[in-house]
Amino acid sequence: MNARATSTSASSAPALEPPAHAGAAGRPPAATASAPRRSPRALLCRVPAAAWICALVAVLNAACWSLVTPPFQSPDEPDHFAYVKQLAETGGLPTSSSEQLSTEELLVLNGLHEIQVRQRPQDRTIASQAEERELEAYLRQARVDATRGSPAAGVATSQPPLYYALESLPYLAAGGAGDLTRLQWMRLFSALFAGLTAAFAYLFVREALPSARWSWTVAGLAIALTPLLGVMSGAVNPDSLLYAISAATFYVLARAFRRGLSWRTAVALGALVALGLLTKVNFVGLVPGALLGLLVLSVRAARTCGRSSYRRLAVSGGIALGPAAFYAVVNLASGKPTFGVVSSALDLTHGSLLSEASYIWQLYLPRLPGMGSDFPGIFTTRQLWFNDYVGLYGWLDTPFPAWVDTLALVPAAAILALFTRSFVHGRSILAGRLSEIAVYATMALGLLVLIGADSYLAFPATDAEYAQARYLLPLLPLLGAVLALAARGAGRRWGPAAGTLIVVLFAAHDIFSQLQVIARYYG
Amino acid sequence: MRSVRVALAAGLTLLICALVLTLLGSPLTVASTDKVRGAEAQIASTTRGTTYCQGGETLPQGTTAIRVWLDAAAGPRVSVVVSAGGRTIAHGERGSVWIGGSVTVPLAPLPRTVSGTTVCVSFPLHDESVVVQGRTSSPAVAAREGQQPLSGRIWIDYLRPGTRSWLSMVTEVARRMGLGRASAGTWVAPAALALVAAALVLASRLLIKELA
Repeated sequence: MNARATSTSASSAPALEPPAHAGAAGRPPAATASAPRRSPRALLCRVPAAAWICALVAVLNAACWSLVTPPFQSPDEPDHFAYVKQLAETGGLPTSSSEQLSTEELLVLNGLHEIQVRQRPQDRTIASQAEERELEAYLRQARVDATRGSPAAGVATSQPPLYYALESLPYLAAGGAGDLTRLQWMRLFSALFAGLTAAFAYLFVREALPSARWSWTVAGLAIALTPLLGVMSGAVNPDSLLYAISAATFYVLARAFRRGLSWRTAVALGALVALGLLTKVNFVGLVPGALLGLLVLSVRAARTCGRSSYRRLAVSGGIALGPAAFYAVVNLASGKPTFGVVSSALDLTHGSLLSEASYIWQLYLPRLPGMGSDFPGIFTTRQLWFNDYVGLYGWLDTPFPAWVDTLALVPAAAILALFTRSFVHGRSILAGRLSEIAVYATMALGLLVLIGADSYLAFPATDAEYAQARYLLPLLPLLGAVLALAARGAGRRWGPAAGTLIVVLFAAHDIFSQLQVIARYYG
Repeated sequence: MRSVRVALAAGLTLLICALVLTLLGSPLTVASTDKVRGAEAQIASTTRGTTYCQGGETLPQGTTAIRVWLDAAAGPRVSVVVSAGGRTIAHGERGSVWIGGSVTVPLAPLPRTVSGTTVCVSFPLHDESVVVQGRTSSPAVAAREGQQPLSGRIWIDYLRPGTRSWLSMVTEVARRMGLGRASAGTWVAPAALALVAAALVLASRLLIKELA
């Protein structure tokens, strides 16, 4: 291993460092297989204060979004709420994907005019004392008509239960306070996951790009202030936990690539994959990459530890895939598709593999010569993904004016140029880290393909059903790394100033996004 | 490092200036509409690109956008042409991928109200469908697709900046934010402001500590 001291200031170190060297803040790297046992408390104490502050910023931001977004005006929030209600009140899972939610919840939604406001950007949420009194009447009626659970949970029904089980805690803690109080508690609980996401993004960048400490902070704060993270974590939605677990997976992989695969990291990686699979089906997209990472790390560790590294691989793989195997067995026993909705996503009943591949390519990138046009007149990279990331809030009905999307191209291009400069500058070091980069790329590719394959199921009736930037947020740690490299691309002298401007840019984006939502619902 | 402090100060100053400018602006308000709430009707639907024209319209002075009630899952590029006496007096275009029951197309404002105008809405379309919303009417006054009358008139809203600034509406907006909540009240807006301010202060301090 090539040990190298960590710079604590504006360093001119290469943008991409060799895979293994000194730890953060000048600490030596942990031993590979014989790391001393530390208590969880001791491990938490080793997390840098900056990571905690990034986490706190993310939690505050998501909590703010939980207040700015009107109740149930976030994608599928009524369905996710119904799932928690069912789990918390009956201990069972929802059984129907119909939108016939519980009477109690439907009364609250009626009182809030939820259906009239959803996807109707010209209609505001309730705005007068008369409507508030009407809502109170609905809430009183909801208490009278309260029934246990909600067997129907709409689109949430097909999701695994981990997030909903955790959300049962604030749901039950709110007692009989009514659905609006429960929802606010649940949203605030969800905001905690934004903190975990930002902290793990910081730690990922610390492990992956260790030479310039200041750039970790740029990554952590920018992620903490990413509006979409705040939106999704300030609502009841399993995406919030998915982002946190994905970020933790990236972090553990980066740590293992830098310090070697110990028993602890192998078990942690397996556990994270299992938790991810128990959180949201979308995590399936990251699994091939994570397993590839585990395999590469095991092969690498075998050179020094011998066959014991393969025992780690087996145990980690077992932990990772255990829940999925159990799920498959249960499905097979009950005559359902082996992997539920994932199996249906892999179903190619209405097209060839080639046409599906062509569709998935065009969903993200401009069409290549020889491909049929699946998105005529649409530049998907920009119109579906970039514009959506810049701002599409509420029930995907609250965009910025079109000129904002155009203006946003300027800072995006600047960040891309700085990142490219940094990347080119460090290209000589890339060769030593190709396997690690391939693992992250496989994770990203897996997610993109999953989203594309799912969207293809509804094509051509719907052009791009799942083309929503929020589905890409499990890759936030990679965005953090791009931002850190972009800041460093400005050079030794101007790097920290560029990093500061990047963070201010994200803060401004966040604040104006909140104002846009406020204008749409309350203006 | 001084450059970090300067960058932070410059960035935050720019942010505050942009906020003030935004708050001094006015929200778009409906200057004129023929929409009647609760009287919705689907007057046409199409799966191919077309142009719908509707006469007997009035373009109010200062109109900066026209809202046309088209419904689509991911709407196509839409262009609007307003003409009077056979002459185009305003036109605008909106890019594709909009959703919901209406599409808002920006226009250059005119200094005076023009009556007796014809509004033409055009869009290309492949595979997807667009539904036109409005109210049923006699064929004589209905919107047309070429020479063919639709089953009614398209709902069209004319939008222009209101007379009040966002700043003058702060109290009102804050009051609305407090409605429909777990514990209703005007506390919601100040609480949100405090949270975002705390996040900004923490982030700024961390930037100075770690980067400066």
